[in-house]
Amino acid sequence: MTPEEQRFLLVGAGLFVLGAIGFVTRRNLILMVLSAELMLHGVSLTLVTFGRMHQTNEGQAFTIFTLTVAACEAGLALSLVLSLYRKSHSLDIRLWSELRESDMSGPALDSSGERGKLSSYEDIPTLTPAGIVPQNPPRAAAAENVPTSHRI
Amino acid sequence: MTMWMQAHPMTLVGLVLWAVGILWLMPRKQTGKPRPQLPGVLIVAAGLVTFCLSCGKSESELADDVMFWVFAIGALMSGVLMITARNPVYAALWFALATLSTCGLFLLQHAPFLAAATIIVYAGAVIVTFLFVIMLAQQSGAAGYDQRSSQSLLATISAFVLLGALSLTLQSEKIDLARPVVAAESQAATGGMSILSLNLSAEPVDIVPLLPGNLMSKADAKHPVGDLQGLGKSLFGDYLFAVELAGTLLLVASIGAIAIAPRREQGAI
Repeated sequence: MTPEEQRFLLVGAGLFVLGAIGFVTRRNLILMVLSAELMLHGVSLTLVTFGRMHQTNEGQAFTIFTLTVAACEAGLALSLVLSLYRKSHSLDIRLWSELRESDMSGPALDSSGERGKLSSYEDIPTLTPAGIVPQNPPRAAAAENVPTSHRI
Repeated sequence: MTMWMQAHPMTLVGLVLWAVGILWLMPRKQTGKPRPQLPGVLIVAAGLVTFCLSCGKSESELADDVMFWVFAIGALMSGVLMITARNPVYAALWFALATLSTCGLFLLQHAPFLAAATIIVYAGAVIVTFLFVIMLAQQSGAAGYDQRSSQSLLATISAFVLLGALSLTLQSEKIDLARPVVAAESQAATGGMSILSLNLSAEPVDIVPLLPGNLMSKADAKHPVGDLQGLGKSLFGDYLFAVELAGTLLLVASIGAIAIAPRREQGAI
């Protein structure tokens, strides 16, 4: 690996990490999708560099597929964002934390301590609640209930 | 790790400056006077310049180096400004600049078709769609959720630990990513378990390619890497089914986007 290739890989890693920071920290739905696209740029640069390192065109072919998937993802994500915006009239990702399972703890609050409420709860899909955790391990309980006459 | 720190101290300094600048620029709840942007931008720029200069120079002429520095610093700086922008419209515009710089890096890596395709798809389609959605869904005035970020300190520190680990791996002299196949002898010695393992030995061994790879994707002297004819042969020779699948995926995604998007009879947005 020459320094020439090394530095392209480093820039690709930097772009990926920047996208990851943006995805985690920002609360705007559109900015989260944009950060994911920035991560894809980093991966594309790395793929192209690897392809040139190995003297094949496969890296560039993969990047073209990445481009296709990114275009699909952008279209689907933006239509989802629009329908979410129609329900909550806000782009805040916090408002959708109600979609989690009921026994999970919510996201960490801001220093201001505010947590938004959805304007309307109609038509919002919810996860079915998970079943009750069994009190005893079923096998052990079954073994205890077997009558003594049937024990070997 | 200490060896890496001694060998590449400038990389470490650049990473730390970069992280501090991002933390400075991150939007947060403002108590009193808003924090000025300019020092953060300067800190990030200093960190980026240190990081990119410490990446090493190539053996080629100076023009390539200058082009690389311009595009790399442009891409990373626009990325930083994108994830810290308080206005989503500015964020989309910074993302467009990051895309253009990445296309410049593609050009430097002998991928002209990819650079053109990325500019057409991203700058022509994706950014415009994003801007349309931002305009549709923009609330009047600055939204509260854009003015503060969640867990920015934790996220930045963990992300830069990841970046430091990646730099440590990429700059290590022991790992040569360009030689993923081990020699036939050492493969036989390890019982064939290490076909895909990296070549960790310091001394170079004779390379016997065990996996022939896709034959139509190989570049030769007549068609170097990035040559359009070679790329076409790779796409429509080795990856013909994948190309058909990608086309089907585009069709399904466009149908899905039309089905998901809110309709007019369901009320205004």
